[in-house]
Amino acid sequence: MFNKLVTIAVLTFAAIGSANAAVNQTKGDFEDKFRQLDESLPTPNVYRNAAGEPGHEYWQQQVDYKIKAKLDEEKRRIDASQIITYHNNSPDTLKYLWMQLDQNKFRNDSMSALTTTFGGIGSRGPATSTASDSKPAQLSLGALRRQQFTNDNVLGYDIQSVKDTNGETLRHTIVGTNMRIDLPVHLKPGKKVEFSIDYAFNIVEEDAVSARSGYEHFPDDERKASDGNNQGNDIFLLAQWFPRLHAYTDYEAWTNKEFIGRGEFTLEFGNYELELTVPADHIVSSTGALQNPQDVLTSTQRKRLKEAEKAERTVFIVTEEEALENEKEGTDKLKTWKFSAENVRDVAWASSRKFMWDARGHQQGGSDQPLVMAMSFYPKEGGDLWKKYSTEAVIQTLEVYSRFSFDYPYPVAQSVNGPVGGMEYPMITFNGPRTKLQDDGSRTYSQAEKRFLIGVVIHEVGHIYFPMIVNSDERQWTWMDEGLNSFLDGVAGREWDPTIPWGVEPRDIVSYMKSSNQVPIMTQSDSVLRLGPNAYTKPAAALNILRETILGRELFDFAFKEYAQRWKYKRPTPSDFFRTMEEASGVDLDWFWRGWFYSTDHVDISLDKISKLRLDTKDPDIDFNRLRQEELDKPMSLTDERNKAEGQELWVERFSDITDFYDKNDRFTVTNKERNKYKKFLKKLKPWEKIAFERAVKEDQNYYVLEFSNKGGLVMPIILELTFADGSVENQYIPAEIWRRTPKAVNKLIITDKGKELVSVTIDPRWETADVDVSNNHYPRQIIPSRIEAYKKKKSKKKVSRDIMQDIKTELKEYSEINIKEDY
Amino acid sequence: MNRIIYWVTGTLLFAAFSLCAHQQKSAISTVFFNPQTKNIEIMHRFRVHDAEHAVKQIFNKNADIIDSKKTQEEFGHYVNQRFNLFDGNGQSMPLKMVGVELDGQFFWVYQETALASISSPLENMTIRHDALRDIWPEQVNTINIEGKGELQTLTFADSVELLTLTFKQ
Repeated sequence: MFNKLVTIAVLTFAAIGSANAAVNQTKGDFEDKFRQLDESLPTPNVYRNAAGEPGHEYWQQQVDYKIKAKLDEEKRRIDASQIITYHNNSPDTLKYLWMQLDQNKFRNDSMSALTTTFGGIGSRGPATSTASDSKPAQLSLGALRRQQFTNDNVLGYDIQSVKDTNGETLRHTIVGTNMRIDLPVHLKPGKKVEFSIDYAFNIVEEDAVSARSGYEHFPDDERKASDGNNQGNDIFLLAQWFPRLHAYTDYEAWTNKEFIGRGEFTLEFGNYELELTVPADHIVSSTGALQNPQDVLTSTQRKRLKEAEKAERTVFIVTEEEALENEKEGTDKLKTWKFSAENVRDVAWASSRKFMWDARGHQQGGSDQPLVMAMSFYPKEGGDLWKKYSTEAVIQTLEVYSRFSFDYPYPVAQSVNGPVGGMEYPMITFNGPRTKLQDDGSRTYSQAEKRFLIGVVIHEVGHIYFPMIVNSDERQWTWMDEGLNSFLDGVAGREWDPTIPWGVEPRDIVSYMKSSNQVPIMTQSDSVLRLGPNAYTKPAAALNILRETILGRELFDFAFKEYAQRWKYKRPTPSDFFRTMEEASGVDLDWFWRGWFYSTDHVDISLDKISKLRLDTKDPDIDFNRLRQEELDKPMSLTDERNKAEGQELWVERFSDITDFYDKNDRFTVTNKERNKYKKFLKKLKPWEKIAFERAVKEDQNYYVLEFSNKGGLVMPIILELTFADGSVENQYIPAEIWRRTPKAVNKLIITDKGKELVSVTIDPRWETADVDVSNNHYPRQIIPSRIEAYKKKKSKKKVSRDIMQDIKTELKEYSEINIKEDY
Repeated sequence: MNRIIYWVTGTLLFAAFSLCAHQQKSAISTVFFNPQTKNIEIMHRFRVHDAEHAVKQIFNKNADIIDSKKTQEEFGHYVNQRFNLFDGNGQSMPLKMVGVELDGQFFWVYQETALASISSPLENMTIRHDALRDIWPEQVNTINIEGKGELQTLTFADSVELLTLTFKQ
């Protein structure tokens, strides 16, 4: 009978630390990798229910702004006044309001500045390094420039007045990047309060301080100052440019964490009316719909805009020639651009006389917003790269993201070129890639720059969905917007052109995941170590694995869309995401969230051994023969063989009379005693047992026991590729739940038909689980060449991204001109 | 190398990170004791976006990590000069340049040395990894040491120049 018991080797590992003691036991070394997450997640309540949905009493505040701002180009300064209407939808009475004064981060006495360690890292911007044995302390020129800039310029908000509707000053206290406004009358639930703030600030030079906004100066532009010297031009990008209300939430109340620079923003939705006064020859791109085109655009421009709505290809509202003409001279006149935006959590804008402007209508249909104008604004430095790809990438992003979430709900989606590498706001994104000016006056770009532009536009426009609409708390959880968005930009990117190497491949994250210094994804943003792989790449790879390998596209896409739609215009927390994905897919994913989001384990599943078993028939006439054959199959004793070779004659052969019965009948000889025992065995079987037994004997299948060990700690499905002697290949998917009782090692029985002999097995043949060590994925073991060994075999011939636009101008040399000493 | 900074495990430090995941200014390397080849193999993985900007700063404006074989090789030598392994006696191990490779979004630099060339038993090893850290103080280089005991990770950040690790016997 098939009764060889499987014993499970208990492998010893260094204890893997986990914050949750219930996962690790107080005695013994069992780890409950499948322990349900409920006790770790916040208790569901009327605001956020156990399904991960907004609860039946979900609320969020609303804040409406009317802002009038004037850009002083000469002084690079904003002077503004704003009226704020704060709607208290919470069940709480508020005695004060907290506002964000992000510009104060740039003050020399800000927490950000004071806690920037010398030689320290972790903050954004120019870096320094302390002295070490062989080199003196370093202060980069960038750090010096920042220092000089913040010394020479008065930075931070100048809050001139905070008044109620009667013109009475409201008591306000500035605390770093925050300001508390005390309300003379407590704000009861369901009530609103209106107040106004007058303020001003000097705009930072983005290149000097590495902010998310600022101005960029172009000294070589032809525009002259009154003294005849070159004055050049600027591009102004305005973001975090007005005092904004901090969010007041059901899970954290005021989210008034000091702005240090890394963790981004938590904001309230509201309606905005903007009046932006700028030099009359500037073109303005802003969050919102333009309300007064007749005042700021020429009739030609308005006609072109109309035409762009239904155009098949991009239409220029301001052409390159017009922009070049525009940037040559300035004006003293001013114009006021009026924008209105509904249900947005922020507004940003850009202004310059350098901008050309193109647009194409994205007819997405539906009832929410059938027409979205995709538009791009860029200087000549953006050139053909921008003309060709920016607006196109905006539209592609809208198509793909809407499929995964909801129709894009705003009238415009814009991409603006300026000094910021990439940053997102509702309806508007700032993107950095440029062309390169060649000596012959033309502009070219490398393929890498092209990929950068397409990638960054997709990523930043994608952020308009996450977190600008699905309003996750960026200051707490970077991964909720960056991880989700990096995952989706990978999906969109592959639909654009899969030959471009997009991120999110599981294999790209393995070296990070196996390294010993990291923190779980579930870590507050300002405390995350190695933010790139932690908050972007690892969660994106995890979601990709969830979609392609664990849930499958149908279940994943349904659940993900459900999450997006549930939290559209609302404020989800990580638990809402975890709960929705699980609840909508109908698949227990707590082990996945624990492993990928709450731990620093990695995936390394090893196939240690395969044993082949054969069912005993219990029939002595069969089994004894098999045993005899097994004995015969063993190699001959070396001593016997050598004796024979030496020609030794055996004693038993020399004297025939000393042989007896046992020389003719070996120990595998069957007698009726065994046959009777076999009959008795058959007779004792219950009818169903007899049927099962006889069938198994008849089929005589192959039984293989595969022994796996989990060396990385992270439990994952085991994906098997089985290769058989007849050359056929089969795939098997064993769900991760196989690890639930013995997370360190499991055995799996695989049964194949009689003639189907297993010759080799590979785990995860498509590299889809981020397994960090593929050398133990094969049985029999294969020698996996290291990267260097593989490299030595094939010298790479890849030519990924040459600047062929420039190279193509290379003149063909005559044979006699070729200098053989040239390097390449 | 008279004063070595001893670190039990790598420090936990991180890089300034650009929002668009463009330049991350971080590299990850593997020092692999290869039992098949009996070599110590060193594989440095740089992001093309980082290397692309770096070569223009290190060499000249026209350097091109993607197009120019010459730049690629020069960058390989640049890394070669800034990466050293020292044995327990502080002796520098002779590292051979194996080659460079552009693969998708990554640029790889390969080095190796024969285990046989190391005279003393390797109880500990000291590593210097200055590549890109001489031009960008915020560059963070992470190294996984594999194939000799449990995997260990070292992180070069701030002004750290030398890191030592001990191999458990």
